[in-house]
Amino acid sequence: MSFKVFEGLLILALSGLALSGCSAPVVIPSSAPPESRPLPSQGTEEAPRTPTPLSPRVLASLQLTDQGRMLLERGRTDDAISLLERAVSLYPTNGENYYYLAEACLLKGNPAQAGEFNRLAGMYLEREPLWMEKVLEQRKRIEADSKRG
Amino acid sequence: MKDGRSTTISWMRLIAWSTLFVVLISVGLLVYCRYLSTQIEKRFSARRWSIPSRVFSDTTLLYPGQRTNRVLLYEALRRLGYREVTHEPDHKGEMQTSSSRADIFLHDLQILSRKREGFPVRIRFWQDEIASITRLDHRESLAILELEPEEMTLFFGPERERRQLVSLDQVPKHLIFAILAAEDSRFYQHHGFDPKGMLRALYTNVRRGGIRQGGSTITQQLAKSYFLTPRRTLLRKAKELLMSVTMEVMYDKGDILEVYLNEIYLGQDGSVSINGVGEASCFYFGKPVAELSVAEAAVIAGLIKGPNHYSPYTEKKRCRDRRNAVLRAMNKHGWISGQALQTALTSPIDTVGVTAYRKRAPYFVDHLSKQLTTLYSSKALSSLGLAIYTTLDTQVQMAAERALSKGLARLETLHPALERAAAEEKLQGAVVVIQPKTGYILAMVGGRDYSVSQFNRITQARRQPGSAFKPFVFVSGLDAFTPASMLSNEPKSYEVDGKAWQPQNYEPIGEDHLPLRYALAKSVNRATVDLAVRVGLDHIVSTAEAFNFTTPVKPLLSLSLGAFEVIPLELARAYCAFAADGVLPYPLCLKGVSDENGQILERRHMTIERVISPAKAFIMSSMLRSAVTCGTARSLNDMGVFFPVAGKTGTTNDFRDAWFIGYTPDILALVWVGFDNGQSIHVPGSAAALPIWAELINAIPQHISGDWFQMPPGVVRNSIGFQGGAWPLRSDGCKRTEEFFLADQVLENERFPHPRSGLLNRIVEEFKGVIQSF
Repeated sequence: MSFKVFEGLLILALSGLALSGCSAPVVIPSSAPPESRPLPSQGTEEAPRTPTPLSPRVLASLQLTDQGRMLLERGRTDDAISLLERAVSLYPTNGENYYYLAEACLLKGNPAQAGEFNRLAGMYLEREPLWMEKVLEQRKRIEADSKRG
Repeated sequence: MKDGRSTTISWMRLIAWSTLFVVLISVGLLVYCRYLSTQIEKRFSARRWSIPSRVFSDTTLLYPGQRTNRVLLYEALRRLGYREVTHEPDHKGEMQTSSSRADIFLHDLQILSRKREGFPVRIRFWQDEIASITRLDHRESLAILELEPEEMTLFFGPERERRQLVSLDQVPKHLIFAILAAEDSRFYQHHGFDPKGMLRALYTNVRRGGIRQGGSTITQQLAKSYFLTPRRTLLRKAKELLMSVTMEVMYDKGDILEVYLNEIYLGQDGSVSINGVGEASCFYFGKPVAELSVAEAAVIAGLIKGPNHYSPYTEKKRCRDRRNAVLRAMNKHGWISGQALQTALTSPIDTVGVTAYRKRAPYFVDHLSKQLTTLYSSKALSSLGLAIYTTLDTQVQMAAERALSKGLARLETLHPALERAAAEEKLQGAVVVIQPKTGYILAMVGGRDYSVSQFNRITQARRQPGSAFKPFVFVSGLDAFTPASMLSNEPKSYEVDGKAWQPQNYEPIGEDHLPLRYALAKSVNRATVDLAVRVGLDHIVSTAEAFNFTTPVKPLLSLSLGAFEVIPLELARAYCAFAADGVLPYPLCLKGVSDENGQILERRHMTIERVISPAKAFIMSSMLRSAVTCGTARSLNDMGVFFPVAGKTGTTNDFRDAWFIGYTPDILALVWVGFDNGQSIHVPGSAAALPIWAELINAIPQHISGDWFQMPPGVVRNSIGFQGGAWPLRSDGCKRTEEFFLADQVLENERFPHPRSGLLNRIVEEFKGVIQSF
């Protein structure tokens, strides 16, 4: 039996194992945090090049988020929304912005928009258990508001 | 005796008649003065002027580490009224720039409910990035800096007057003294008219043989310009006198002076007149009236005599002489010291620089106006002095205007057949730039030249999108197909309206079957029609409706190739959903409105609506990324665009329309090129619209983070085999070993026919090899 045939048989044998476990692709359930695997090679089109946590753009956005939150606490809802919108434009995947935008919409009596923002907050904050608690609690309030409205 | 008695009676009669006459005249005058007083009161108590509303851009954010286009940034600073000085800036509105830094003394900022005092700041640059921002007065590093918004246009009434109202306590004393010195030094002594002044003027004019000096007081001047016509008649002069006296009786000097300071005509900016010291201060010196120096105040006071005759822009020497005369008069009356006089006499007249008034971003403003007229009448807009704040980014607007202008000119040079002699027949183009997450419209260019055509091709045109519509066919198919599913590229004939129709590809593609990703990247017509048939045309119509296309969409086969009309803004908005996790934003241009006292009247915020799942949006972006890496938009890589971009070209039948819509997670831009009359431009979207897009995006690095989309929940990445099943083995960069799938599709255990899993595929191949070896 040539080496090539041996190699073929080896692969065939391994295939039994492989078929049981590898025929189904890895599934990320929708409730799981978003996958952020590194790229197979840099420069391919799907490079999940998320913002570097402390990139200047992110830092600037976080500052705006913080200012927006403070304005929200002071009851300056419209001003808070304006700042949070600017924060979104700089760091679109920061779920906190959407959480506060949802709060602002609730304050303005717009549960439908609050729901949209809450959903985005949930998506981006899924890997942050503390934040997710707040997001889920907010979701309940939105649902209650929607029912009342 | 009789004669004497008769004479006495005659005298008595004369006296009686004269008295009656005087009484009647006096009563008449009193009645007339009463009438004038009601007129004056009416005018003083009611709204005194029509103040045009002002439209402002959005503010500009700067932060350390931000990439900038310094040319556009400095242009924006100049438009904001910052003037270059050779010393360290010590007054608001001054800036000093060098190759590595810009020192700027910021203006005050006031937008909606926010206010900020101006302060000196140093921006250091390192190559094309902002290295640091330091507040110079506190030596404090700033994480973020906001530049004030730019005025883009004014809503004028028929008067076309610019005016910024100021109260008397805002006006510095030296400006008041300068005006009194120039026009009416006895203002606080007389009661509306000044006989002494009139006699002096008469003497001067007689001596010099012509009208050299006017004897009108400030009150008379106000009466003249505020209530009367400029005609020089005795009757009008008498009326002016009566009105001045009445005014002085009714109001105190401060009230009269304040009205005068806001009323006077002080110059001309094209077809627009500059009225009042508040506006003149900004127009000539780029600063609020409170910040005028003595010398600058004297220039403004000197202008009252003849704004265009003594203009510091056009008549520099005359202006200087007039200023110096005013300064000397101030000194003569003891209103400035000798030392202050000497300093002011030797100071140069540094104007802020004038650019003839023109509407900036005119197509954007027109689009905005349509929304505003649902809130305010045109009369209110032209008279209430509202401040209207928008989403427009002036640097993006400038970049878009230039990219379009250059791109169209380049096309005409490369393809002389596109040139047209008549301005209104020239090749046209349009650009809109949107922030996909917020829906902010950052720039809008609705045509090549607003002065030639005000038709807004972004909001008013209805053009066929061609292949630019294909993504909506593909997203309709994502419930049943994956990016790796195979579509037929075989020539097929379909029956349309009883006739045979055979879709043709733009370029020959050998494979009979193609994966979805490849079909979209390469914009393959046959495969798209195949997908549309399998998905169902009604389903595609539903998708178009869900994405808020408001033009009629009919379930015809040609729909899949974009053979129906869309409004470009709606097309851009629809693409936003791919760039924004499946969320469709409302395209926002108005952020807020405040009245002239700063009271907020209106606020608008981002509004979003989910149309597809984040997972589908991600997969669409991934497939549209392939259009840029290896598809019809791959030439983008040769145009200096090195960051990840998703996009789609579009070309309609006979090359009537050329499109490119490209986006990153941060920004989306749509470019359209074509003729208004539908003539062919002979070039596809990749050659006509794509270079304009590239030029625009390369000019606004501050809006490009270089990031790509995060894979959201509900998406799985899976190997698709070494050879990718029937994946075409091409050397064009489209070869893939992995693909993205919707998680729920994978859970349903591969409803899609292709490809087989990579490993399974290899095992089958190896098994065949083993069998053959035996």
